[in-house]
This record gives sequence, structure tokens and C-alpha cells, in this order.
Amino acid sequence: MTAPSTEAAGFDIALGDIADLSEVVDREALRDICRSFFDLFNLSVRIYAADDTLLASVSEPAELYTYLQKFPKGRKVVSETVDQVKRTRPTDSSVLRHQTIMGIVYDVVPITYQGRPVGRFVIGPFVPAELEQVPKALVRLDPNLDRLEVRDLLMKLPRVRANTAERITSHLRGVLDLLLFSSHRAHLTSEMHVASVRESYRELAEKTSKLQHAYDRLKELDQLKSNFLATVSHELRTPLTSIIGYSEMLEANIAGELTGEQREFVETIHQKGNQLLGLISSLLDLSKLEQGVMRLTLSDADPKAVIGDLASTFLPHAMKREIAIETACEEGLPTLRVDPLRLKQILSNLAENAIKFSADGGTVRFAARYTDWEDDADGAGAVLMGSSRGAVAFDVVDTGIGMRASELEKIFDAFYQVDGSATREHGGTGLGLSIVKRLVEAHGGNISVTSTYGEGTTFTVTIPEPEE
Amino acid sequence: MQVDFHGREITVKLVYYGPALSGKTTNLQAIHQLVTAETAGRLMTLETRDDRTLFFDLLPLTFSGGKNLQVRFKLFTVPGQVMHNATRRLVLQGADGTAFIADSQKTETKANQQAFLNMRENLSENGIDPDSHPVVIQFNKRDLPGVRTDAEIDRMASKGREPVFKAVAIRGVGVIETFLGLTELTWRHLEAKHQLHEKFGLEPEEFLSTVRERLGIGRAAE
Ligand SMILES: Nc1ncnc2c1ncn2[C@@H]1O[C@H](COP(=O)(O)OP(=O)(O)OP(=O)(O)O)[C@@H](O)[C@H]1O
Ligand SMILES: Nc1nc2c(ncn2[C@@H]2O[C@H](COP(=O)(O)OP(=O)(O)O)[C@@H](O)[C@H]2O)c(=O)[nH]1
Ligand SMILES: [Mg+2]
Ligand SMILES: [Mg+2]
Repeated sequence: MTAPSTEAAGFDIALGDIADLSEVVDREALRDICRSFFDLFNLSVRIYAADDTLLASVSEPAELYTYLQKFPKGRKVVSETVDQVKRTRPTDSSVLRHQTIMGIVYDVVPITYQGRPVGRFVIGPFVPAELEQVPKALVRLDPNLDRLEVRDLLMKLPRVRANTAERITSHLRGVLDLLLFSSHRAHLTSEMHVASVRESYRELAEKTSKLQHAYDRLKELDQLKSNFLATVSHELRTPLTSIIGYSEMLEANIAGELTGEQREFVETIHQKGNQLLGLISSLLDLSKLEQGVMRLTLSDADPKAVIGDLASTFLPHAMKREIAIETACEEGLPTLRVDPLRLKQILSNLAENAIKFSADGGTVRFAARYTDWEDDADGAGAVLMGSSRGAVAFDVVDTGIGMRASELEKIFDAFYQVDGSATREHGGTGLGLSIVKRLVEAHGGNISVTSTYGEGTTFTVTIPEPEE
Repeated sequence: MQVDFHGREITVKLVYYGPALSGKTTNLQAIHQLVTAETAGRLMTLETRDDRTLFFDLLPLTFSGGKNLQVRFKLFTVPGQVMHNATRRLVLQGADGTAFIADSQKTETKANQQAFLNMRENLSENGIDPDSHPVVIQFNKRDLPGVRTDAEIDRMASKGREPVFKAVAIRGVGVIETFLGLTELTWRHLEAKHQLHEKFGLEPEEFLSTVRERLGIGRAAE
């Protein structure tokens, strides 16, 4: 498994460290702090990152420097001072005081965070309050310097007592530390947020791909099963056809007259052979339908004729059980484009069930009617997406044992039968409806069922009329 | 562990792991209170409004390793709630040692076990071998009723290889001992792996006794 990744540049979740001020603190905020510091103490302040980038600065040009720059040596001293201050870097956590020959000083203060240097700030130029007179070195810079002017300008610079300087720097340190802490926390929170989401996503993606793999494998197995079923069904059919053929010949006395008992046995062989053949054909149909290789031979079919044919086929069977057969067919139904044999297979299966699950003396009704074709569109943009096609609905209605609502969604599964005892009483394999459903779908139609337990069941097969 | 040769600095990451509400945050709070400001930095907590740890808590400790070498410890806690597993795994990244904080109440046995397995799993996923990773176990909340007896814990502890500590973290009892136990175990492990003695002249026993002293436990108290 891959280790979680933390890609955010410069950010180390592993340790939650910051290497540099600028990583977490907003420059705007630093500038505001410098500004309020300046307003409060009238001292210039600059904040540098660990890599010497100037992050914020609020200062007033020292008039003394402006004056000194009029003289060559003065210019040199000023620029050297500015340069040296910029390059002064504290090595530990103590404050460095930069002295100049002008008597002016700067305090360079390290900013540490969690025991690490992350930057520094510089306070100054200012003059220590203890300074009594203009340093000689300053006056000697140039013979043309106006002593009084220099003195005035030097005294214009902020004068700070030693312990005041200490208090001021430690105050600014404290403020920066707090700012760093809360910025660091906000920074970590948002980084963790992103990292956690990314990590959760990675985990999820990994699981999904595992599931997908398992699913693909299952699908493969399912395919194998279907292939196996098709082969086996086919191989079983050939010898079975012979068995049925020979038993028919025996029944027809082609091999000589049979005794009463012999005839009875041969008839049983014939009948059971046919049953087995039916089962094998169903399995074959199912696997073909599952693999999507069932071919439909489409031709025109008149719904009225379909109903008539269905009734006459089942009449003898129904009469034996004293079940009445009713038909109802609307006039003027459209001609359908279907595979007539398959449509008959569909309706026959439903009719067979209707009779099988009715008590003697019941009624079974076959009906055909015109209805709207309901597309899958769930109302969204129906006006655009829906079609104005019609459809023919075939109802197979019985007054039999019915089913509970909870069973209705399962009866279309292969081999499902409502309960064990019914199976024994009524026989069958539970393949009928699963084939029916797939055949209906292969025609672009749909099948629905409504049932009241103990009162009867209605199956409705809807086949859309051909598109214009 | 992170080594900065240039800045002469070693950073060690220790993680407080365990089921939700076992007292991980409380351990860090106690250490923060017991240790001087010179050693411990601010305790940072990243928590939700209901005081549950959302991402982690973080307490930095800094010790001097002599010869201007700095040794920083970063103590993290993980969020215990089951749903924060991704965060736990992230926090465990690069951990050098782990203190597993168990809740002593018998009713929490199952939660302790699950969290422990979860820890081992997350260590593995971070590419850390859970069998060689330094782990100490703390049985916290010894003050509550319905906890395993000391004798029971001792008997079970003798079967395991992890050092076991008993604690009442809200009163600071056993917290420093747990931290020291973890530090010792982790340091010896790091020494064996990275030869810190050789590279930095940092003698393990010497360093550990510096840590002990700084935490107010002298050599004699051992
Ligand atoms: N008209 C009906 N009334 C009550 N129950 C029904 C009706 N039609 C189907 N069922 C229930 O649905 C189950 C599945 O029907 P299906 O046609 O798939 O299988 P079968 O009739 O049992 O066996 P086969 O059709 O393979 O011979 C039936 O076993 C029965 O329990
Ligand atoms: N009685 C008792 N309660 C404790 C102890 N340690 C922590 N708690 C309490 O347990 C609760 C959860 O502690 P917390 O540290 O937030 O748990 P975490 O989820 O592991 O970080 C808090 O209410 C603590 O006060 C202890 O030793 N004894
Ligand atoms: Mg059937
Ligand atoms: Mg917590």
C-alpha cells in the first residue's frame, strides 16, 4: 500500500513545523503591527524573514542621514551602517546591538518559534538616552560639517533608555509570538483539513477500485456460468430428443403391440422426457437472454389475433379444471412489431401461471387495451424527453391464490418460487417469469404485477407501438 | 526524526494514540503544566466546539543536547473518534515513538483493543514496522471505579513487550513517567538506527539524564 502523501509545498505535516515567518504570517498583518509600534514609540522597525526578505517596514528617514550624505565620508558612513545592519544576524536568541560611530544604535532581535529561528526584526536608528554629547568621530567626518546642525539633528532622533529598549523589544517579541502561534494554528488547521480530505479520498478510491475489481471478477464468473449452462443445455437436448423419439415410436406400436403396463411405463417416459426438454429449453432461453444473444424475428402482429390464439390454446386445459376463460379486446388497436413466437411464449407463461395458481372453478381473463407509453423519464423535462407513443397492454387476470406484496419483487428472479409447499403442489422450476421479464424487455416493453393475497393476480405486459 | 546538521538540531516526533476520550489531550496538558516554560512551548490544540480533538494537539519541548546541539520533541495527539482515521494516519506519519493511552475502565476494553489494532494498521500503512516501532502503554483514569486492578494489569503487562505505566492524567500522576519511558525507548531505538552518539557526540545515557533532570526526576529517583 502506498504511503499517504503530503504534497503541499513547504509544509511538513509530519512535524507541523514552519521554517519561515512568511510561510504563515500575513504581510499585511505584520505591516499593521509595525505601524502601531511606530505610532506608539516613534521608533522605526523592520521585520525580516529567515531568508533576509524584508517582510514589513515602517520608518521615517533620519534627517541626520540626509544631511550627512552631502559629504563624501558621511555618505560612506551612512551607507555602510545601513548595509551592516541589514547583514547583522543573531546566532542565538539574544538581542544584538549594532553600534555606529555616529552614536546611533540599532537593536537586531531574533524571532524564534518553537525553539527555531524564523526571522528577525530591527529597531532603530535611535540614540541611547545615556549619550551626552555628539561623538567626536562624527564631528570629524568632514571639516565642513556644521557642528550645531549635526547636534540638532542627532537630538531629533528618538532617545531611548536601555531598560526601555528592552521592554519595547520584549513587547514586540511577545506580540509577534502570539501572532505566529495563532497564524500557525490556522495554517495547520487548514493544511490538515485539505490533507485529511485528500487522504480520505485516497482511501475511498482505493476501496472503490477493490470493489470494482471484485465486481468485474463476479461478472466474469457469471459469464462463465452462462456459457456453461448454454453448452450443457445443448448437449443434454440431443440425447433427450432421441429418448423422446424412441418412446413415441414405442407408443405407436412400431416395435410391436405393448401390454397395458408397458404402455403406461412408456407414456410416463415420454411425458417426463418432454418435461425435461421444457426445462432445458427454458435454461437455454435464460442463458441466451442473459448473454444478450437472443435473436428476435420481428414481424407484424395483431393484438386481437394474439388474444384469440391464446384463449383457444388454453381453453382445453382450463376446461379440465372448470376454469372459465374470458377475453376482452379493444377495437382499433395498432399492429405491433414483435417476434410472434416469443410474444406467445410470454403470454402463455402468464396464462399457465394464472391457471396453475387458481382454484378449480375460477376465472382467467385475457385482455388487450390501448395505453400511453411511459418512458423512463422521471418527469424531469418530460415535455422534451417523453414521447407521444402509445402502447398495447396485455392483461392476464386470475382469481387465484394471489401473492403478498413482499413477494412481488422477487418472483421475476430465476428459480424463485413463493414457497416450498406451493412448489410441490404446483410443480415447475421458477424459471418462467424470469424468462418472461427478459423477453418483454428484449421487445422494449415492460411487465408489471398487482396482486391481492387470496384474491387474485394481474400481470400486465406493455409493448410500445412501433415508432413512426 | 528530522536532522538538521547545519542548524545542529534534531527533531523527534512522539505521538499519543488511543481511543476517543482516553485522556491523550489531558496527558499533553499535564506535561505542559508540569514542565517549565523554558522547556515547553505553547500547547496548540486543534479542536472542535465540543472539545473533541479534531486534528491533533501539539506540544513542542526543547532540550539542549550539549555542544550547541538542540533536541526538539514534538508531542502530537490523534483524534480518537473512529471516523477520523484518515487524520490519525496523517498524524502518525514519521512518528518515532508512540504512547498508547488506554482507558482503564473495564467497559473500555474493546475500544482499547480496537484502537491498538488500528494504530498498528496505520503504522504499517505509513511504512513503519509496528513490531519494531517503540511503543509504551499507559493505563489512564486509575482513579475511576470499575477499572482493572493493578495486579491484573501487572500480570498482563508481564506477557507483553511494551513498558506499561499507570496514570491519573487529570491529576498529572504518571504522566511524566510515561513520557520519560517513551523518550528512553525511542531514544535507544534512534541511537541504534542512526548512531547519534557517533554523529553528534550525544551520549544516550547522558542525554536521557539531562531530560530526566529537566523534568524534575533526578538520577536517584530511578
Ligand atoms: N398468477 C399467479 N398467482 C399466484 N402466484 C403466482 C402467479 N404467477 C406466479 N406466481 C408465483 O411466482 C412464482 C414464480 O413464477 P414462475 O412462472 O417464474 O415459476 P413457476 O411457475 O413456479 O415455474 P415454471 O414457470 O418455471 O414452470 C411461482 O412459483 C408462484 O409462486
Ligand atoms: N477520572 C479521570 N478522568 C480523566 C483522566 N484523564 C482524562 N480524563 C477525562 O477524560 C475526558 C477525555 O479526556 P481527553 O484528554 O480530552 O481525551 P482524548 O480524546 O484522548 O484527548 C476529559 O473529560 C478528561 O477530563 C483521569 O485520569 N481520570
Ligand atoms: Mg410459471
Ligand atoms: Mg483529545
